[in-house]
Amino acid sequence: MKQAIYGLVLYVFLMLPPVASLAESIMTVHMHMQMPLFVIAGMLMAPYLKQRFPGFFSKWNHNGVPGILLFFIIMVYWMLPRAMDEALAYQSVEIFKFISLPFLAGVPLRDSWNKLGSIGQNVILVSFSIISGLMAWLYIFSPTQLCNNYLKVEQITLGWAFLFLGLSIIIYFVQQFFVDQSQYE
Amino acid sequence: MALALKETFSEKTNKALGVNSEDAKLTLTYLSLAFIILFLGGTLGLLQGLNRAGLLELPSWLNYYQVLTAHGILLVVVFTTLFMVGYFYSGVSHTLGGLLPKVRKIAWTALGSMLFGVALVAATVFMGEASVMYTFYPPMQASPWFYIGLVFVVLGVWLAAFGVFISAANWKKRNRGQHLPMFSFFAVGGFLLLFLGSLGVTAEVLMLIPWAFGWTETVNVMLSRTLFWAFGHTAVNVWYLVAVSAWYVAVPKIIGGRTFSDTLARVVVILSVILNVPGGFHHQIIDPAIGEGIKFMHVFMSLSISLPSLLTAFAMFAIFERAGRKKGAKGLLGWIKKLPWGDVRFLAPMIAMITFIPAGAGGIAQTNNQLNQVVHNSLWIVGHFHLTVGVTVALTFFGITYWLIPYLSKRELTPKLNKLGVIQTLMWTVGMYLMAGAMHWVGLLGSPRRTSFSTYGDHATALGWSPYLFSLAIGGTLLFLAVVLMVYIAFHLMFKAPKGNTEFPIAEPEDDAAPTPQWTERWGLWIVIAFAIISMGYVIPVVDMIVNAPPGSPPFRTW
Repeated sequence: MKQAIYGLVLYVFLMLPPVASLAESIMTVHMHMQMPLFVIAGMLMAPYLKQRFPGFFSKWNHNGVPGILLFFIIMVYWMLPRAMDEALAYQSVEIFKFISLPFLAGVPLRDSWNKLGSIGQNVILVSFSIISGLMAWLYIFSPTQLCNNYLKVEQITLGWAFLFLGLSIIIYFVQQFFVDQSQYE
Repeated sequence: MALALKETFSEKTNKALGVNSEDAKLTLTYLSLAFIILFLGGTLGLLQGLNRAGLLELPSWLNYYQVLTAHGILLVVVFTTLFMVGYFYSGVSHTLGGLLPKVRKIAWTALGSMLFGVALVAATVFMGEASVMYTFYPPMQASPWFYIGLVFVVLGVWLAAFGVFISAANWKKRNRGQHLPMFSFFAVGGFLLLFLGSLGVTAEVLMLIPWAFGWTETVNVMLSRTLFWAFGHTAVNVWYLVAVSAWYVAVPKIIGGRTFSDTLARVVVILSVILNVPGGFHHQIIDPAIGEGIKFMHVFMSLSISLPSLLTAFAMFAIFERAGRKKGAKGLLGWIKKLPWGDVRFLAPMIAMITFIPAGAGGIAQTNNQLNQVVHNSLWIVGHFHLTVGVTVALTFFGITYWLIPYLSKRELTPKLNKLGVIQTLMWTVGMYLMAGAMHWVGLLGSPRRTSFSTYGDHATALGWSPYLFSLAIGGTLLFLAVVLMVYIAFHLMFKAPKGNTEFPIAEPEDDAAPTPQWTERWGLWIVIAFAIISMGYVIPVVDMIVNAPPGSPPFRTW
């Protein structure tokens, strides 16, 4: 319950107009800080929702695959340069962003993660590191401006941010093989 | 049952054999060198304080900026690092049952590398080839050997860090399912933070070396400054974390109390490691070439570091109050009287902690853009870090010395030496408050830092600084006397104090303490989160600095 309140507070805070416009004024912060924070807000609210609607989650997401698929689709959608542009240009898309990231990505991610088992988790980690690598390549080397709203230098910055994100995921993924937690626990 | 047996067994071996003599030799070597460096750095500090007040003329072959550079590097980097490595290695040896032979070898190699590096750095500074201050900002250019010396210092630090990581991993393998003892947890956290922080400065130095040799013509000034502060800020927080480790682990035992919460202490370590590195930006609030939005966001990143500090303050007061009440203290504040004020092992770290209240508050003030404008590059800043590193860190280190050295040399702290220690602590405190207080105030009045004595053509404002600068010099003189006393005490405890048995104080948890959750041990995750947060903080401005870089700056020699 406490977590759900923290999640709600974070959610409302992120939607406050000055916070949202500051976060959206810098491309990298828009994609790599605001959007993940919305997902985290959703993750924090997930246990409460699961407790409230246990039947819904067990019926529609009993093995975790539908949930993670939904998460995947939403995340990939928000990686499209055009989606970011539209969020800035159209109020309706901005509202969709505020709803989709916490409730269609954050909540299903938390519900699905443990249901997936280690193979499913690893598939997700590898996919995301590959996607991050591709996005890094796209944003760093694109000869043209991809977003109407952001300058090319911001685009390159975002590319490097994707590279570091991908590296973080890879380091986490690889250390699992070298550091066998069961040896320590 | 098995656990209980194991504990009694290790206790018995510790009692019978005491500290492993080879491990003791290692730490004692580190500590002796640390105190020799303290003496050298303190002497330079005295010269510089007197010169800055206009009371002493330096000889022609040694100028203010050489003294300032050497004083800064020797005390803020070398003394602290040597002490940290010596202290953490002794604790790792004590809590994990002795160092592995290969780890001991690593630690000696680390010492060799650091000493070689320091020798190069000190030589270039005293030859007048590197009066670049301890921040070595380009476009001021030192001799390439100065930067090469720094590389060896960093290499030594990395070796020492990996020695601790190896020890911890090895212990965890031998003791499955158990939490790493708190002291070693602090050691792992401290070295991890130092390692992460030094990545930036390594990149910087590797760019400066070819520039100093003249192989590259220009250098990116903003990028260098940014990479430096990723390290500079982290380093001071590492020293602070070393001090905090003694507050959590040793101080409760010394005052006859228990730890407040094992989980809380570990969370403080984890948060310090994760949040610290991007904090470096608040040293660059006035720098151009960083957008306002980024600076604004970095205020949050900087202030987030005060969270673990506030957690620590809460835990410390809780420990003191509980210990006092256990001894029969009454009323709201009666526990204050029950604390062992006459025991230097408590007094020194306690003054260190109390000092962190104004010092930390000053730090928070400086993190704000508008307030920073008032004090930036003034002596206020110098006053600030003399409170944080000079009192909070240094006095805690001194407090540790009073039990660590006798424990290692199998001697005892006599009441007489304790009394001398109390005098030393008070002298240091009075000296530092006089000096840092004067620096804070005269900084507000506009006196610049990093500038040798000048009356600016007898300008009225500059003349108005004189009384404060005298107070600075008096404080500095007291501090020098305190340094002499401290070095005497340290070596006395090493070689002259009566033989005896001193214990390594490790506080125990309360009887009804909640078990520490397993997630505190997931270092893989903490490293990745730290890495992600460092990227969050640095990718945007650094890419901007590289992509939109000016042609760069040729070298300057201002001296």
